[in-house]
This record gives sequence, structure tokens and C-alpha cells, in this order.
Amino acid sequence: MPALLAIATRNVFRNRRRTFITAAALVVGIFAVVSIRGVLNGLQGAIIASTVKGMTGGFQVHRAGYLANVLSPPLTLDFALDDPSLAGLAKLPGVTAVAPRIMFGGSLSVPKEKEEDTPEPLFFMATAVDPTLEPQVCPDRAGLMSAGSRFDEAHLLVGEAMLGTLDAKLGDEAVLLAPDRDGALNGELSHVGGALKSVMPGELKVAQVPLAAAQRLLRMEGRATELAVAVKDLAQVPSLVAQARALLGPTYEVHAWDDVATDRRTFMQRQNAISALVSVVFLLLMLLGVANTMLMSVLERTREVGTMMAVGVTRAQVLLLFLLEALSLGVVGVAGGLALGTTFVAALGAKGLTVTPPSATVALTLYPSSSPAFLVVVAALALLGCAVFSLYPALRASRLRPVEALAGR
Amino acid sequence: MLLTTLTLLTLAAPPDGKELLAKYDAFMSPPNFKATALMTAHRDDGTTRSYKMTIVKAGADRNRIWFHEPAAVRGQEILRNGDNSWVYMPNLKRAMRLASRDSFQGGDFNNADVLRTNYVHDYEVTVGEDPAKLDTWVLELKAKTAEAAYERIKLWVGRSPAGMPVRGEYYTASGKMLRSAAFSDVKDFGNGWTRPAKVSMRNELATQRHSDMVFESADPTVVTPDNRFTMSDLGR
Repeated sequence: MPALLAIATRNVFRNRRRTFITAAALVVGIFAVVSIRGVLNGLQGAIIASTVKGMTGGFQVHRAGYLANVLSPPLTLDFALDDPSLAGLAKLPGVTAVAPRIMFGGSLSVPKEKEEDTPEPLFFMATAVDPTLEPQVCPDRAGLMSAGSRFDEAHLLVGEAMLGTLDAKLGDEAVLLAPDRDGALNGELSHVGGALKSVMPGELKVAQVPLAAAQRLLRMEGRATELAVAVKDLAQVPSLVAQARALLGPTYEVHAWDDVATDRRTFMQRQNAISALVSVVFLLLMLLGVANTMLMSVLERTREVGTMMAVGVTRAQVLLLFLLEALSLGVVGVAGGLALGTTFVAALGAKGLTVTPPSATVALTLYPSSSPAFLVVVAALALLGCAVFSLYPALRASRLRPVEALAGR
Repeated sequence: MLLTTLTLLTLAAPPDGKELLAKYDAFMSPPNFKATALMTAHRDDGTTRSYKMTIVKAGADRNRIWFHEPAAVRGQEILRNGDNSWVYMPNLKRAMRLASRDSFQGGDFNNADVLRTNYVHDYEVTVGEDPAKLDTWVLELKAKTAEAAYERIKLWVGRSPAGMPVRGEYYTASGKMLRSAAFSDVKDFGNGWTRPAKVSMRNELATQRHSDMVFESADPTVVTPDNRFTMSDLGR
């Protein structure tokens, strides 16, 4: 076997030009697969970071049944913030901060000088957050505020598009109207503090309202519909979710960030599927190249195979020889591709890539990276493919009849 | 012979749609009135909320509502003048514009259901029959102004007395049913005004919800002066 391996490697380098071209195809293919996945890792890392630090926190707590209510966020599924069972949440090891929120729908109008000139209120979906606690859980939220914005007890933020429609300036009075927890209409006065930039397309009629004002508007003093919880390490989220569930019991529900932001999770799953498909196509193309090379090699070396068989080399050994030749070719190509790909991804990762997704106003900085598990899978698939795709040429060689082969037929 | 045929024809032929709709309007809201009403909203969670109010109307397009109960809405007022409606919030001491298609106090009526009750002005009408309800005419209404409460309405009204509201179905332009109403408890409120005392509005998008509007007393002889339909009068 070692002798066979030595012969196989030597054979591979007998025709250097052909070996170089085939190996180059392998290198390019593996490089492409590794780079695409690396950039995607960076993009998904950025999406996860912006979701967790800008929107969801590591995990969230609601009253049981809250997230299942798809039509509208129900205010009646709320809880008192001084509920003693919630006190333990902040003390779980790995939890760094807890912030209460209320999601609600209402309408907003910015009154003009003359009441008759005031346009009809605009409907919006609002997130009410505490101006001091929220930044501890979602520090990136501040990055969504347009320059010069203020968000405090007396100022709210509205989506950029909505600010334009309302024809509002910073500091203008803003009147919120909403049905309270009981459904009765209520109003609350606040001021326009600035605009919220949109991260993903389609986020138009949104507002961020100071929690205390929302609690007065909805007649929900001391209450909230959501707790966003920040964690030290995202890898801890599943275990913290389990601990929080045990702590809070059946009247509450606990969801990890990706169970809350399911649209983003679906988006990333779709990206993964597409990149897997592209990778498989790349691999197949390279392997067809390998199969072609091996077939050529077998056809050229018919007499050589005949000679080998005539001096007593078995059919199994011939088969193994050609498989080993394909594998050593594969090893060279895969090693080259991995080296080039990971270096490229690491270089991008060190520098960072700044992109602005279409129709979003916030630039994302990606830090591409390679995951060892993915590299192992790619290498294994490529080598396995080399063996499988050279099976036909190798079988063909091993089935030659020595007498005919010696005659070159 | 000829005479009998003619009589039969007149009996079967539907009456003029516009006339019938005008009769519906007259039953629902005469030109002037003052009424006290109770709206009860039955919510998704099985609980109910009741709102007590006084409603006045003057002419075709002016209304005012004062809310009395519960305490959360006491002092709130609604004014409709023409195509504009405002809600006055006593805690803010100011009035905000109301959208006609927004929910009325979180219930299943929208603001226009309560404030824009003159359908002749807002809709084109055609008359038909419902084989399942031969004691009614079916009015198919199509909005002719953007301020109308719905794009399309299907109204079942009685044949005798002609135009008495029985049932309503309220649709989007694409034909999706948003709400349906049952009119019941026809009551003589005196001074020549008879109308269904109760309108039960079912939310067809969230079918476990419905709201009832019950007129407790009503007087079509009360004429409210013009100055009560101005914004400066809100909160007084």
C-alpha cells in the first residue's frame, strides 16, 4: 500500500502541465466556495449583531401566548414590572441587563398653528422603551437615530418616511392617540425628537416612544408587555432561555432572539441554502475536471497497465492505484484552495467590508470569517468526490485484459 | 285582466333604490336628533367594555358626541362637520383629527359607522332580491366619495315598512367582508321616530369580537344650534 501510494504520487507528477491545470481548477473552486461562505458568515454575523444589539436583545420574556397573537400585539397580555418572579431574571449568571418595553399601535399627529390645518393622524406601530435601561440591552438602537436626534422622557422618534409625511420638525409637539389597555381612546402629548433610520426595507410607519409616556397613554403604569434581556455571550442563550423558563413558570413565555426575529432567521436560512447550492455546483464542475483528467490518463496508459498486470499486479491494486492518483491530485488542489481561501477571508475579516443594503439607510460593516467545521466538510466532500468521480476511469483500467492492453488495444 | 297583471308587476318590481336608501337613512338618523346610547364592545378575551354617550345631529353632515362613561373617556367629545371629524381629549385640552375608518373607541364600529350615517350622500345604489329573505330588498351600495366608510355595502332592508334596516355587510374594494351588522329591537322612540334600537356589529376579521350599539332614548325634535358644531365649542 505505501509503495502504491508512492507510485501514485509519482504518476501524478509525470504529466505536470495536466496536473497543474486540474489542480488549479480545484484550487479556484475551493477558493470560491470558501470565500463565498466566509463573506456570508460576515454578513450573517452583522445581521445577528444588529438584531441582538439593535432590536431583540439575547432573549425576551412575554406573558404566555403573546407571540402567538399574530394579528396585533395584545396589550392585555401584559405584566406588572414589580412581579416578584421577574426579579430573579437579572440575577441569572450571564444576564447583563433587562429592559421593559411595550409594543402598541396608535396614531400620531403633529398639530399645526391652526387646528384646521392639522392633517389626519398617521397610524403607526410603536415600540415603547425606557430611555435609560434600553441602551444597556440594545446599544445599537442609538445608531438608528438620525444625527441630532434626542430620545428622552419628553421626545419620541418616528420613522424617516413618516417624519416627512407629517411635515414635522424636531421639537414640534406630537400628539399620540391610542386605545388604552381597555380599548378606550386616550391621548398623550410628546415632542418630535428625531427620525429613525430603517435597517431593513419596509420599515416605514414605526415610532419609538418613551416608556413612561406610553404607560400613561395606554393606562398601563408600572406595566409592560415585553422584557428584552441582554446576555454576555450569545452561545449561552439556549441555556439561559431554559433557566428563565424554569424561573418564571407557565404564566410567562421565553424566546431566544432568533425565535423573535423569525424573519431574519428565515432570511439567513435562505442565504445558507443558496450558498450551499452554489458550492455544490462549483464542486461538481471541479470534479468533472478530475474525472476527465483521470480518464485521459487511463486511456494513455493502457500499455503500461497491461505491463503492470503482466508482471503480477492485481486488478484491485490497479483500481487502488488510479483512485490514489485522483486523491493525491485532490489533496494538492484542496490544500491550495483552502490555503488561498482562508487567507483571503482572514484578510477581509481583518479589514472589514462596509456595505449598505439596498433601500436601507444604515451601512453594515461585515467581518468575513471561516468556520473550521465548514472547511472540514468542504475538504471531505471534495476528496470524497475525487474518489467517486475517478471510480469509472479506475474501474475501466482494472478491467483491462493484459494481452489486449499490451497490444495497445 | 290587464289590471291584475299590472298590479302583480308592480308588486314584484323592486322600488327605486335611492328612495329606499333614503328611507333607510331616515330610520337610522333623521335630520335632527338627540339620543343617549350605550356601546358595548365584546373583546377577544371574552371581557366587555361599555361606553355611555350622548349623540346629537343637525342636518345631513354635522354630529357631536359626548362620552360620559367609563371614567377613562369621560369628557371626551367627537365633532363631525362635513368631511372632517375631530376628537377632543380633555387631558390634553385639544382636538385631534379622526380618520373615518379608524375604530370607534376600540370597538368594532368605525368612526364613520357612527358619524356618517347618511348613505344616500356617500353611495350609488342598486336594488335586488335575496331568495332566502323575500321579506327584504337587498341594496348594493358602491362608494362615490373617498370619505365613505366602506368601498361596498350590502344592506338588507324590510319591504314593510319599506327601508327598515335588517342586516348589513361591509366590504373592501376587493370584496373582502370586514364587518357585518344585525339591526334588531325595532322601537318607537316617540315623536314619529321608529328605528332598530340595537345594532350589533361583528368583526369578520376577528370573529370572536363584536360590539353592540343600543339607543336608550332618542328625540328627533331636538334642534341643536349651529355654534355647537364648531371646534371652539369643544370642551365646553
